[in-house]
Amino acid sequence: MDDIKVNQNPKLGSIDRPNSYIGRSLPRENAKKHLDGGGQFVDDLTLPRMVHVAFLRSPFAHAEIKSIDTKTAKLSDGVIDIFTAKEIDEVCKPWVGVLGHLGEMRSPEQSPLAKKIARWQGEPIAVVIANSRAQAEDALELIEVDWLEKDAQVDMETALDPNAVIIHPELGNNLFWTRTVNQGDVDKAFKEADAVVETTLDFARHTGVTLESRGIVADWNKAENKMTIYHNGQAPHMMQHIIAKHLDLNEGLVRIISRDVGGSFGIKVHVYPDEMAVTAISKKLGRPVKFIADRLESFTTDIHARCHKISGKLGVDKNGKILAMEIDDLSGIGPFSMYPRTSAIETNQVLNLSGAPYVIPNYKAVGTVVFQNKTPMCQYRAVGHPIAVAITEALIDKAAYKIGMDLDKIRKINFIPDNSYPNKSPSGVPLEDLSHQASMDKLLEIMDIEKFETKKKDDYQKGILSGYGVISMCEVTNPSPLFYGVGGAHISSQDGASIRLEGSGAIHLSSSITEQGQGTEAIMKQIAADQLGVKLESVRVTLGDTDATPYGGGTWASRGAGIGGEAVLKAARKLKDNILNIAAAIMQTDKESLDIEDNNVVRKNGGEGISLQKLAETVYYRGHEIPKGTNPELLATASFLIEGIPFVFTNSAMGCQVSIDQDTGIIKINKFWAVEDCGTQINPKLVEEQIRGGVIQGIGGALFEECVYDDQGNMQNATMADYLVPMAYEMPDIIVDHVTTNSGRSIIGAKGAGEAGTGGAPAVIMNAINNALKQVGAEVISQPITPEKVLKALGKI
Amino acid sequence: MIRLICYLMGGKYMKAANFSYYEAKNIQDAIKIKANDEEAVILAGGQSLLPALNMRLSSPSCLIDISKISGLNDIIIDGDYLFIGALATHSDVMRNEIVSQKMPCLIDILKMVAHPAIRNKGTHGGSIAYGDPAAELPALAVATNAEIILSGQNGDRSINANDFYLGLFETAINQDEIVVGIKYPLLKQGQVFLFDEVCRRHGDYAMAGLIANIILSSNKVNDLKLVFFATGDKPDVADKTAKLFLQTGYDYDQLKNSLSSEIDFAGDLNSSSEMKLHLATILIKKIINKLEA
Repeated sequence: MDDIKVNQNPKLGSIDRPNSYIGRSLPRENAKKHLDGGGQFVDDLTLPRMVHVAFLRSPFAHAEIKSIDTKTAKLSDGVIDIFTAKEIDEVCKPWVGVLGHLGEMRSPEQSPLAKKIARWQGEPIAVVIANSRAQAEDALELIEVDWLEKDAQVDMETALDPNAVIIHPELGNNLFWTRTVNQGDVDKAFKEADAVVETTLDFARHTGVTLESRGIVADWNKAENKMTIYHNGQAPHMMQHIIAKHLDLNEGLVRIISRDVGGSFGIKVHVYPDEMAVTAISKKLGRPVKFIADRLESFTTDIHARCHKISGKLGVDKNGKILAMEIDDLSGIGPFSMYPRTSAIETNQVLNLSGAPYVIPNYKAVGTVVFQNKTPMCQYRAVGHPIAVAITEALIDKAAYKIGMDLDKIRKINFIPDNSYPNKSPSGVPLEDLSHQASMDKLLEIMDIEKFETKKKDDYQKGILSGYGVISMCEVTNPSPLFYGVGGAHISSQDGASIRLEGSGAIHLSSSITEQGQGTEAIMKQIAADQLGVKLESVRVTLGDTDATPYGGGTWASRGAGIGGEAVLKAARKLKDNILNIAAAIMQTDKESLDIEDNNVVRKNGGEGISLQKLAETVYYRGHEIPKGTNPELLATASFLIEGIPFVFTNSAMGCQVSIDQDTGIIKINKFWAVEDCGTQINPKLVEEQIRGGVIQGIGGALFEECVYDDQGNMQNATMADYLVPMAYEMPDIIVDHVTTNSGRSIIGAKGAGEAGTGGAPAVIMNAINNALKQVGAEVISQPITPEKVLKALGKI
Repeated sequence: MIRLICYLMGGKYMKAANFSYYEAKNIQDAIKIKANDEEAVILAGGQSLLPALNMRLSSPSCLIDISKISGLNDIIIDGDYLFIGALATHSDVMRNEIVSQKMPCLIDILKMVAHPAIRNKGTHGGSIAYGDPAAELPALAVATNAEIILSGQNGDRSINANDFYLGLFETAINQDEIVVGIKYPLLKQGQVFLFDEVCRRHGDYAMAGLIANIILSSNKVNDLKLVFFATGDKPDVADKTAKLFLQTGYDYDQLKNSLSSEIDFAGDLNSSSEMKLHLATILIKKIINKLEA
């Protein structure tokens, strides 16, 4: 077995025992299936009588639909029918993307297909149902729409101006939501500060770019009144509720099956109008209906994220102690707030997370979220984190430069001390079990930060601009009911696990957590086998089927290990207890003298045991051999939810070193370091994959990714040739290390690990670039940091 | 092309419109079909054509597949020329022994053309015939004064690359003609081809690129041809600027002024015209640095 990489969590039992799988970097079994091409994705599914759809989407950002003529198109080869909003609305009720717990949100009703007005380029307005997708696309060309193009409100910065285009006249203006946080007295503190620094940062819209695009097959069975949905989402039980609610079905007769999912990153946890239309079409036609978004559709209809402009101010005393921080954030979310999580959460997290690692006695934050005629914006991996971390860490670097302090030192003296938890963030959010001090110390040690100052000076002599940065951050993971449920959304914060010993001696586990490629199945297996005392290969896992798994929330907000994993642990312990009770009765001994190792019940003091297979055979086939009154249940189920706090936070520290070509503006990230404290690591290799993958996405946000729009609201780079994501050549070495502070909220002690890279990399990369540029008096403040922006900052163009 | 038009379509299509498909057995066969159907197009490696079809940016009546024709992927020395058959893939060319001896810069250039999967399918002739102004090979052909060999109903003809590119994706190929090969003049004594480009990511179309055809005598640049790509609507030859460089050496401001008067820089999503002008000027310096190294 691999070396143990994590500190021992005493609640999990000795690590020097057979079947001790928690904490080991074991290869995941389901990777083989994918390498072998044996995955089952939505598009792999073909059902008898299945039809295909293609959506007619608005080519304009804002336009009135005067009329839609489908007569000629309906005659096209292979076409079964063509629906507009009128037909779809007969079976699908509209929705509103607001929640009740975060103050007033104002968003209008949204239906699967736009009725009179299209409000973003890509909004569906009609749908062709045909025998093949190609035939459906042929017919799209024959639909005649009489459009009246309207002025579009593209720019979020003018969305609240008196002469702005009002996207929803019934709301009176384009304001969706606003929130203010005010702790202490920032104005007074700024007056007392020895140094005050300010900056304004821009973050472009980008999107998730999942390898597998969104897809759904809806199959309405009239005879059984049953709706079966094959869907590549993240939250099957949430979708079950929503589809039942809006199509007026019996929720118990809606089944959601999510088999393999090719990446999600939060993109696939929302309710999309085209997917709802597909369920409505199946209900109307009584046939299975398939929709797979193509890449153009993905770019213009998958949710976008970020799109923020944030200004910030930080006051410190002459010793570098932070006295006050103030931020003002503006975000544009497209024409609708997404359902059911709303499009307010990114801004909410910016307000909650800014300054979170530090003691900041006076803190003020204002967030404003506005409508605009662009693709809807919503929660994507590391929701709000990149903005919160970037503004905080940019201000801290600026303060350090201003008072002449080292970049690591100013952070160290301001951290919320590791021994002071439970504590609160500057915004008032409860924090516990964090380790900013230990993580930064570890980061500085593995980076060997001292050498970079020397290197920077040497490079400068050679005409190279190089620089480095370090940051610290908090990650929101493992949300409690206080995240969505309290606001009225039917999104479970509890997850369940069910585990059984079968007649063959095999273990079957099912969980409400889902797998989207990150290795959820592997860690569930490791936890179950570890806690039960069986070989890893004897555990089989079922995920992603509302008919076959316990009820629960699914996988998002880094909740799989901490919440779903704890449920598996509890269920495994219960089953073990049942097994040992039965074994004790059969073996006529005390339960306490028995244990399970390598699929056998063993006597702790030696002597003959009994294999789980034999025990199961006895219970299932020769039950008369068990003493009367023995509980014969070889099945156990458990659930878990986080109570008492809104989230279990994780923390991390990151560093990077960059160099800049002054002639071309090209930035090279030479090396990247990340120290993560996610508590117990169930599989360190998978944790490190999460960190590295996240860092790559963060590099995307910092340097490459942007949904480029023109003044009329046309997206201009909706192809993989033009929307730039980092590729192998753009990936630096990423050194990952760990500090382990277990969460006190669970036995397993795991916190989430999925958000750090994406949330922190944009900040540390920007800080390192500005550290380099500072040598020539330049600065960049807008992401992605393109070569052209660098050359402009350098005054070269 | 894709980047210019996709947004106008509102993201509607990902399956090609109907077309007929013809697998040509030999070159005469392909020519005959093409001569009689104005809307037919040649399919070779398909690396530019197939995405265009799927996005319905192009709806040809017929695809004439020439990829099965034998004898169109030769790489040989033909007198004073290196001849590369139209169907030689980029990978074929990169691995070819003759190319590595006679025209090593072509291998450096092809390393910058997309990624291995694309280079395994994409063909030399396809890239030359497509005439993407941001692609490397058309600029190389112009820089080296290559001859492009076309086969038509009246037999073969040869046209100099300098006369071949007429405008955006527009070439001197006649209706009945097919590119069958490219002839690059072999390097003369003291001659060197140098290449550099600036991309946002490895394998992307460049923000600006330069291929220089340099004649050295006694270690000094005696003659120079500069051809830029990803700067305008076709490979941009900068003769005035080359002459200026020969007179005055590298002077950023002077060369930039000259380039700006000589080339109509057209900005794109990744770089404005101003950026392209700057990078083009910088590329001259980078080429000279390479020469000195």
